[in-house]
Amino acid sequence: MSQVIHAFLGRPDLKQVEIRLDNESREVLLGLVKQFRSMLIDDSDQSLQRLYPPAYLKDSELNDEYDDLVHDDLLKEKLESIDVLETTIWLESIELEDFFAWMQVINSLRLVLGTRLNVSEEDEFDFGQIHDPEQTLFVWLAVLLEEAVIASNFSLEDFNKT
Amino acid sequence: MGGFGEVVAHCSWIAMMNPSPIEIVEPEVEESSEVKHDQPWIVIVWNDPINLMSYVSFVLQKLFGYSKEKADKLMLEVHHQGRAVVSAGNRERAEFDVFRLHGHGLWATMEKDSSS
Repeated sequence: MSQVIHAFLGRPDLKQVEIRLDNESREVLLGLVKQFRSMLIDDSDQSLQRLYPPAYLKDSELNDEYDDLVHDDLLKEKLESIDVLETTIWLESIELEDFFAWMQVINSLRLVLGTRLNVSEEDEFDFGQIHDPEQTLFVWLAVLLEEAVIASNFSLEDFNKT
Repeated sequence: MGGFGEVVAHCSWIAMMNPSPIEIVEPEVEESSEVKHDQPWIVIVWNDPINLMSYVSFVLQKLFGYSKEKADKLMLEVHHQGRAVVSAGNRERAEFDVFRLHGHGLWATMEKDSSS
């Protein structure tokens, strides 16, 4: 299994990000987000709690109010990000806003997968030594996200001006 | 890049996962911190074992317009001290910031500022 190298490339001149994933990797990502959408809509899996953390640790009443207020919006945002990823998955370059949606989806997948794997601070995953499919996915998504951060860093100063 | 899909391309991610109950461990909170009504609210980002350090810094830059230096400093505070105050303001502002941080997957909470 080869390691991901330069999955994304920032294009400051175009305010876009070049997607350099091969077709196989795009298929994997597409398959994952399709399952993720079903999981989000079903909303019964306990690991999804990680996507809706409490806002108030000391006041359960306020926290319930907050959750009632934002849960649907957070869900809608995630589903919209999945839509963006699905509709742009085969493109060679995508707009920055769309790439941010990709990043949010990839990170959400990591959070759910990491929660289900009960990942702790002590866990270290060596990409070359992993034979477990779930751990492989978890590390692969980490590599993708790390590369996505690098590829999009050019944009933050300009993005914040808009 | 290539080769990855041979292992996982056709697997069912949800079906193959361990269905055992998940225990979400929330950050420990000091219950002794009494607050006053006129105090501003602070937004706290907590350390968690899943979010990448680089991603946390990225989100702080993106959402708050912080420089990379400031975002990295806050991210390291989160990593080493378990938490960092990333913004402050009235309740509505703090709740909005928490919402945005949750939208980006960070573990964020808000509370009245007991230090002022």
